[in-house]
Amino acid sequence: MTHELAKALLPCLLNVAIALLLSPLYEGILRKVRAAIHSRIGPPITQPYWDLLKLLGKEDLRSAGGAAYASLPPLTLGSLLLLATLTPMGAAAPLSFAGDMIVVLYVAAMSAVLIMLCGFASGSPYAYVGSSREMMMALSVEPILAIALTVGAFKAGSLALGSMTAFQAHNGPSISMAIAGFAFFLALQAQAGKLPFDIAEADQEIMGGPLVEQSGPRLAFLKWAMWTKQLVLAFLLVEVFLPWPRFGALPIDLLISSIKALVVLLLVAVVDVVNPRLRIDQAMGYFMRVGLASLSALAFAVIGK
Amino acid sequence: MTEEYERTLAAVHELMAARSNGSQVSVTRPNPDTLHFIVERKAMRSVADGLFNQLQARFLISVGTDKRPLSGTFGILHVFSFDRAQLYVLVESLIPEDDPRIDSITPVAPGADWAEREFQDAVGVRPEGHPDPRRLLLPDEWPEGVHPLRRDFPYNFQPPPAKNLRPVMRDAPAGATVLPMGPFFPVLEEPAYWRLFVEGETIVGCDNRLFYNHRGIEKLGDSALTYGEIPFLAERICGICGFIHSTCYCQAVEKAAGIEAPRRARYIRTIMLELERIHSHLLWLGIAGHIIGFETVLMQTWRIREPVMWLCEAISGNRKAYGMNTVGGLRRDLPSDIHPQLLKTLADVEKEVIAVRDAILGDSILRARTEGVGVLTKESARSVCVVGPPARASGVAIDARIDHPYAAYDEVRPRIVTQEAGDTWARVVVRVGELVESIRLVREALSAIPEGPICAETKEEIPPDKVGVSVVEAPRGEAVHFVMTGGDNRPYRWRVRAPTYANLQALPAAVMHGTIADVPITLGSLDPCFSCTERLETVDRRTRTVRTYSSAELLEMSRGKGPSGGVR
Repeated sequence: MTHELAKALLPCLLNVAIALLLSPLYEGILRKVRAAIHSRIGPPITQPYWDLLKLLGKEDLRSAGGAAYASLPPLTLGSLLLLATLTPMGAAAPLSFAGDMIVVLYVAAMSAVLIMLCGFASGSPYAYVGSSREMMMALSVEPILAIALTVGAFKAGSLALGSMTAFQAHNGPSISMAIAGFAFFLALQAQAGKLPFDIAEADQEIMGGPLVEQSGPRLAFLKWAMWTKQLVLAFLLVEVFLPWPRFGALPIDLLISSIKALVVLLLVAVVDVVNPRLRIDQAMGYFMRVGLASLSALAFAVIGK
Repeated sequence: MTEEYERTLAAVHELMAARSNGSQVSVTRPNPDTLHFIVERKAMRSVADGLFNQLQARFLISVGTDKRPLSGTFGILHVFSFDRAQLYVLVESLIPEDDPRIDSITPVAPGADWAEREFQDAVGVRPEGHPDPRRLLLPDEWPEGVHPLRRDFPYNFQPPPAKNLRPVMRDAPAGATVLPMGPFFPVLEEPAYWRLFVEGETIVGCDNRLFYNHRGIEKLGDSALTYGEIPFLAERICGICGFIHSTCYCQAVEKAAGIEAPRRARYIRTIMLELERIHSHLLWLGIAGHIIGFETVLMQTWRIREPVMWLCEAISGNRKAYGMNTVGGLRRDLPSDIHPQLLKTLADVEKEVIAVRDAILGDSILRARTEGVGVLTKESARSVCVVGPPARASGVAIDARIDHPYAAYDEVRPRIVTQEAGDTWARVVVRVGELVESIRLVREALSAIPEGPICAETKEEIPPDKVGVSVVEAPRGEAVHFVMTGGDNRPYRWRVRAPTYANLQALPAAVMHGTIADVPITLGSLDPCFSCTERLETVDRRTRTVRTYSSAELLEMSRGKGPSGGVR
C-alpha cells in the first residue's frame, strides 16, 4: 500500500519540485537577457531566489482583513503546482487521465481568477482596475489555449495530454499543429504577464494592479506563482507541440524539455523587451484576431494536414 | 524694426485707446520690444479681452508686485506677447491697499488661470470673477491673510504648524469613482496630486493639487540675494534646464539695465542651451518609453545621453548647474581645446539619435499607443497658452528662438518642427525632430563663433525701476523671466514662469474622455520637469568625516565587486 502511494506521489513531487526550484532560476536568466538588451549588467542569476527569501522573511502587513485576502496568495501558488502535476515534464503527467486536457484548461484559468480575487480582496482602487483588466485578458486569452489544445486533441483523437504528446512525437510536425503552437506561444506571452500584455499589472499606470497591496510573504507567493506559471505553460507548449526528440528515458527527456522551455521563455523575454505596453482594448482586439486565425488550425486538422 | 512690428504697435495703441475708455493712465516703452501700459483696474478685463481675443496676442504671465513702499499700491501686471511682431505688451493696474481686488481676466483668457490664483496667494489681490479661486501655491496649513511676496513678510518666516488639513478638492461627478494619482506615483518623479474621475476605464474629469515643493525662490531673489548671486539660484530652479533659467534671468536684467552681452558670450550661451535641449530630449524620450513600459528605450536613450553630460562637464566642470552665466555675459569661456571633443561627441550622438529616431518612428505598437491619445486641439492649445513642443505639436507654430531672438539665434536660425494632430504621437515626432535639429545648431554655432570678450564691462550700478522681459525656449517650452530692478543691488521683483507651468494647465483638456492607461503617457508627453542628483556623499557619524565616492567607486560597488558589496 505504502509502496503504491509512493509510486503515485513521487512523480508528482518531482514535477512540483521542478516547478518550484527551476522557475526562479529561469526568471534570473530572463532578467540577465533583458539587461543585456538594455545595455545593462543586470542582477546575478540567483537574484530571484534571494528576492523570495527576503520577502518570505518579512513582516506580513495587511491592508485589508478577511480570510480571503490572507489565504489567496498561497492558494494561487498551490493552483499552479496542481497545474504542474497535470503537465507532462519529460514524461507523461503524474496526474494524467483520459480527459485531463479539460482539467488543465480549468486549472490554468483558476490561477488567473485567484490573482483577480487577490486584487478585489485588497480594497485598493488600483487593484480593482488591475483585477478587471486581468479578467478581460483572461477572457480573451483562455479561448486561444483551448483552441490550440483542441487541435492537438483532434489530431490525436484523445482528450489526454499524454496521447497528444505521443501522437505528435510519433507523427512529426503538421501545419495545423504549427499554427496552434504559434497561437499558444502568443497566448503564453499574455499568460506570463509579459509586455506588450502586462496590462493587468502595468506598474506605471496602476502600480502593479492586483499586487499593489501585497507585500512580504504574500508577495513572495504571488511572484513565485507567476514565475511558476510561465515555466509550466512553457513546458506544456514544448511537450504538446514540440515533443521531439524523444528518447524514452526520463532524465534525458526532462533535460531536453527544460532546455526547450528555456528557449521558449527567452523568446518571450525578447518580445517583452522590444515592445511597449498595449492598452487593454488594443490587446483584446489583438487576441480576438489571434483566436480567429487559430481557428484555421482546426480547419487544417479536419482535412488531416 | 519690421513692418509687422509697426503695424502691431499701431493696432495695440488703437485698441488700448478704444478699450480703456479714457482710463489709461500712462504708456512707456522701457525697451524697443516692450510696451508698458498702466490702466485703471476697471478696464483690465476689457483690455485683456481685446489683446487676447481680438489681436490674438499670447498671454505669458501675471506679475503681482507689492509696490506699497513705492506708490502705496499693489501692482498687477499681465504680460502679453505678439510673437510675429517680436513685441511684449505689459498691462498694469495699480490696486489700492485698502481694497485689493481686480477683475479676473481668466474668463476671457483661460491661460491666466494659475497666474491669477498665484498673485492672489502671494500678494493678496483677489481676482474677482475667477472661475476657480482656490489656493494654488500656498500650503493647505498656511494661515489666511499672510501673503509671502509682500514686502513686510520676511523671507525666513515660518508659520505655526497646523494638522490634518486637506486640500479643497472638487467632488467627482455623479456615477464616477475617484482614482487618485499621486502625490507619490511611479511615473510622477515630483509630488503632484491628480484626482481622476473615472467611469470604468474612461476619464470623465480630473482635479489637481500641486506646488508641494514650492521653494520661495522669487522671494529670495528680491530679499536675500544680489543681482550677481541670483544666476546661481536661477540655475537651480530646474534640474534639467538650469542654464535656460540663468540665461533667461541674465537677459532680463541686461535688458532692464541696457547692458549688451558680447557676441562670443551669446554664441556660447546658444551652444550650452542647445546641448541642454539635446540631453533633455533624450531624457524625455527615455521617460516616455518607461511610462508605456518600453524600458529598452529608456536604457538606450540614457546611455546615448551620457556623453553629452560628460561634454558639459568638460566645458563647465559640472554635468549640471554650470555656473557660467552672469549679468552681462559669461564667467567662463569654452576651454580652448574643446572643439575636437565637441564635434566627435556630436557626431557619435547624432548617429545613435538617428538610429533611435528611425526605430521609434517605425514602431507600430508605439504608434498605436500614442496616436490619437491626449489630443490637444489647436484652439485649446491657444486658449490655455500652451508653449513649446506641445504647442508646436498642436499646430501653434511658436518658438521663442524665432519669435523673440536672443543669444545668437538671430544668426543661427533654427528650423522648427510642427505637427497638426495635437496627440501624443505628434509630440513625440516634434521632439525627435528637434533633437536632430539641435545637433545641427550646435555645429553651426561652433563654426560661426567669434573671438572676443565674454563679459560686458559694467561700471555703473543697475538703475532702479526699470523692467525687462526675457524669454528662452527651454526643451519643455518657453521660459519667461520678468525683472523689475530695485535699489539695493537686487531686483525689486523677479518673476519666473517655467514652461511646465503653462503646459500642465492643458492636462485636464488632454486626458478628458481618454482611458486610465493613457493618462501617464499624456502627462509624460507634456514633459513635466524632473530633477536628479548624481553624486553620493556619506558622513561617518562617529568620526564626522565626510567621504565622497567617485563615480568609478560607485560603479564598482553597484556591480558587486567593491569593498562593501562583495561578490554575490
